[in-house]
Amino acid sequence: MIPPTPEALMQRAQGGDTAAYVQLLNEITPILRRVIRRQRAFLSSEDIEDLVQEVLLSLHAVRATYDSNRPFMPWLFAITRNRLVDGVRRYSRQGAREISFDETEVTFAAIAANTIQEDFGERRDLLRAIEDLPQTQRDAIEMLKLKEMSLKEASAASGMTTGALKVATHRAMTSLRKMFKNR
Amino acid sequence: MTRKTDNLIDALSRDLKAVTPLPQPWIRTLRWLGILIPYCIIAVLLLHFIGKLPSPLVDSQFLMEQSFAILTGITAAMAAFASTIPGRGRSYFAWPLIPLLGWLATLGQACFRNTSGGISLQHNLLCLPFIIILGTPPAIILWMMLRRGAPLTPSGTAALGALAAAGFGNFCVRLVHAEDVSLMLIVWHIGGIFLLTAATSAFGRFLLNWRSVKKVSA
Repeated sequence: MIPPTPEALMQRAQGGDTAAYVQLLNEITPILRRVIRRQRAFLSSEDIEDLVQEVLLSLHAVRATYDSNRPFMPWLFAITRNRLVDGVRRYSRQGAREISFDETEVTFAAIAANTIQEDFGERRDLLRAIEDLPQTQRDAIEMLKLKEMSLKEASAASGMTTGALKVATHRAMTSLRKMFKNR
Repeated sequence: MTRKTDNLIDALSRDLKAVTPLPQPWIRTLRWLGILIPYCIIAVLLLHFIGKLPSPLVDSQFLMEQSFAILTGITAAMAAFASTIPGRGRSYFAWPLIPLLGWLATLGQACFRNTSGGISLQHNLLCLPFIIILGTPPAIILWMMLRRGAPLTPSGTAALGALAAAGFGNFCVRLVHAEDVSLMLIVWHIGGIFLLTAATSAFGRFLLNWRSVKKVSA
């Protein structure tokens, strides 16, 4: 079967067809990501993703301006170009107003003020300690604590049951606590 | 990151409403005129009735001037609508140029002919309420219609919109404003139109922007 063209999908989306709209957005998102990355190679992946989302939001807002007798891609790229120019304007405005500085690890210079920081230790040490955990516990901690996934999502991603994930997390936390207590 | 984009796609499609595709620029221009023409006929008749105003001198120069004024308004409105459609070329910016030049030429020629009686730049402010009554609705209605499009070139769209409203407004004002001193017209009316167009263009980003489009489409 011939897959539907973006023009046909957009026309159906204008009529309120959710499935066609999801298919269209899923098809154009990697294209947008590629185009934006090529044109704004200096941006971080996060900024590129922000721009992709900005284009998708703009497309959604002006979907009534699409004329089904005209090709879809020039319409999409005109919006993309416009949002990229606006993005550059926004970044340069932000750059002029904001000063970036290295993240400080202490709140005050006085040692007494940094007791909490000392209790938790260095982030790097914690990541190293996680690496030393058994595979199941490490996976559970990474998914549930570092990536902040829900139990359901972590279960779907790892194939473990939610009960097994809870046990693994509990054991991992106990091990980590012990490791840091012994230092 | 990618997960957030997937979530965004889910959210956008979950709230998807059917939309009516925007008609072609010329159809939208006809709709704009369709709202304004009845209003202007009533307003002009009422102003003549209440103010007991003298009728304008209808000669070939007046007809030419009025034709070019309304054509400037129509072509500028079409161009403004076209400028809010992604993927169209930029040739629409040139559409109102010919009628605008024709309009200026007609006024210039008449002004050149009328200088024998002495040039006066004095202007009474009688036409100011006419300009407000007859010029504001075209601008507001056009702005509301343009907000439904994509603000790709907000300054350009706003400038074209202001020119369209000014062309149409000036056409109506000349029906109640019988003074026929063309140099005065060029300086006050056309000068005013250019000032209005430039000012509106400068504020284009405030009048037409993606934030308001997203609000309108929400």
